[in-house]
Amino acid sequence: MRVILADDSTLLREGLIRLLADEGHEVTAAVGDGDALLAAVGQDPPDVAVIDVRMPPTHTDEGLRAALEIRRRRPGTPVLVLSQYVEGRYAAELLSGEPSGVGYLLKDRVVDVEEFLHALERVAAGGTAFDPEVVRRLLARSSHGDPLARLTPREHEVLHLMAQGHTNAAIAGRLWVSRSAVEKHINAIFDKLGLPRTGGYSRRVLAVLRYLGS
Amino acid sequence: MRHALHRWTRMAAGLAAGAATVPPALAVLALAALRPRAGRAAAVRLATGERHRVERLLGGVPPAAGPVPPRAALRYLAARLPLGLLGALVLVSALVGAAYASLLVWGWPFYYDRWHLVMPSGVGGSFLLFLAACAAYAVAAFEAALVRRFLGPTRRQALERRIEELAESRAGVVAAVHEERRRIERDLHDGVQQRLVALGMLLGRARRHGGTGPGGDDLIHQAQQQTRQALAELRDVAWRVYPALLDEAGLRAALEAVAERSPLPVGLDYRVPAEPPRDVAAVAYFVVSEAITNAVKHSGARRVDVRLDLPDDAPALTVRVRDDGRGGADPAGGGLTGLARRAAALDGRLGVRSPPGGPTVISAELPCA
Repeated sequence: MRVILADDSTLLREGLIRLLADEGHEVTAAVGDGDALLAAVGQDPPDVAVIDVRMPPTHTDEGLRAALEIRRRRPGTPVLVLSQYVEGRYAAELLSGEPSGVGYLLKDRVVDVEEFLHALERVAAGGTAFDPEVVRRLLARSSHGDPLARLTPREHEVLHLMAQGHTNAAIAGRLWVSRSAVEKHINAIFDKLGLPRTGGYSRRVLAVLRYLGS
Repeated sequence: MRHALHRWTRMAAGLAAGAATVPPALAVLALAALRPRAGRAAAVRLATGERHRVERLLGGVPPAAGPVPPRAALRYLAARLPLGLLGALVLVSALVGAAYASLLVWGWPFYYDRWHLVMPSGVGGSFLLFLAACAAYAVAAFEAALVRRFLGPTRRQALERRIEELAESRAGVVAAVHEERRRIERDLHDGVQQRLVALGMLLGRARRHGGTGPGGDDLIHQAQQQTRQALAELRDVAWRVYPALLDEAGLRAALEAVAERSPLPVGLDYRVPAEPPRDVAAVAYFVVSEAITNAVKHSGARRVDVRLDLPDDAPALTVRVRDDGRGGADPAGGGLTGLARRAAALDGRLGVRSPPGGPTVISAELPCA
């Protein structure tokens, strides 16, 4: 894949470039701030952009702003946002547009090289990838008179994995159950949460996350 | 002894000046009776001048809370006329007393045959001198009391002002603490955390390599290096948060450590006989380390000189950091504002002199009472 990196820490940029090169991906540009990122994406659209939330000048949420701007200018450009802290608001904002090809991971997640690369590939392929920690927080703070409380522990696990962006097959693999069992759980979850049954898996993630983060 | 002499000279000058303003005060009062507007303006000017005289030469007056109101000025000038004359009388008495007292010193050869007659004059003169000295104190106290009574600040005004100062410095401390915390967070985030993430990535890559063979071995070697650097950075951040040495070995040792760590040569001239109170030492330490950091980062200086003074009878520790760089330091910049707030919290002051072209001198006065 062709990847653009945006992170103000040169150390981390170097590390990521090596990591991706190991896997045979190509880093077409590595930049340190939002403006340079927008310019680089405009010049040569990548298969996916990996963006750190905190960048100069203010070190607050420039990266996220830039990611949203990229999505506004070129809908469908896959972006994977890395963040030092879990922010439900960021996840919600990323999902407020077209819900395909977005990811939001804790920065520390790149340490699990395997996981990180999978997430990157999922996002580039138009799927979603949400950090387990983000999902856990969203699940924990959801306060809807709490239909979530009506879920069984198993259904909770399924919802959790679903929210991270895993496919039914992947969920089945992780929980050591059959795919049809997973589908049954998912239907039960949708019923309990009062969500319309729809097809595409990113849309259901979106539905779940929107519901949780609203 | 020199100190006392100096004080007496100042007091005598104060009383003399006070006596000298009696005729102008009379003129101003007369003018005010004839032409109120011009008189009032002149009264304000004269009263303000009087206030400065008492503040500088006699003491006992807190700083003014604002401009002198015209009516108060007139009342004050009228009230202190007798006091001005009394001051003149005290000075004249002191001179007369001194003249007679001096007989005891130089009178011997001239009056050796009538000594029993001259002796009492000398003794009486000495006593008159003593009385005049006491009276001078009293007049000075009266002068100060009149200024306070008519021109303020009254006790209440002084208290209000103090409360304002405290509220301001308290807000400043809160802001400074907030700012410092942000800086610590940034330090941790931009330095240590990034390094650890990079380290984790290296290890992750090494594992994918199978951890052995030339490639994996090299990655592990790099990871080890990263670990060392992460540790060094963590130590630095911890040190910037609070130099533990300050508690363990005192201000001097902590400052010596700062000087050693600085990439620029730092001269330390430490003239503080006893260890200052801990909060004062901490602020002094941060003033020095921040000033050195600024000099290293922005000034292009070749060397920095640090001097700390706390003479025996001085109420405040003075800190002075001078660099020979290009100047132009901004007192409103983040670090310097924080230092000014910290100093204000101790009722101290921070001064920044940094003309374009240098040198930059950052000084602090920190009361140790």
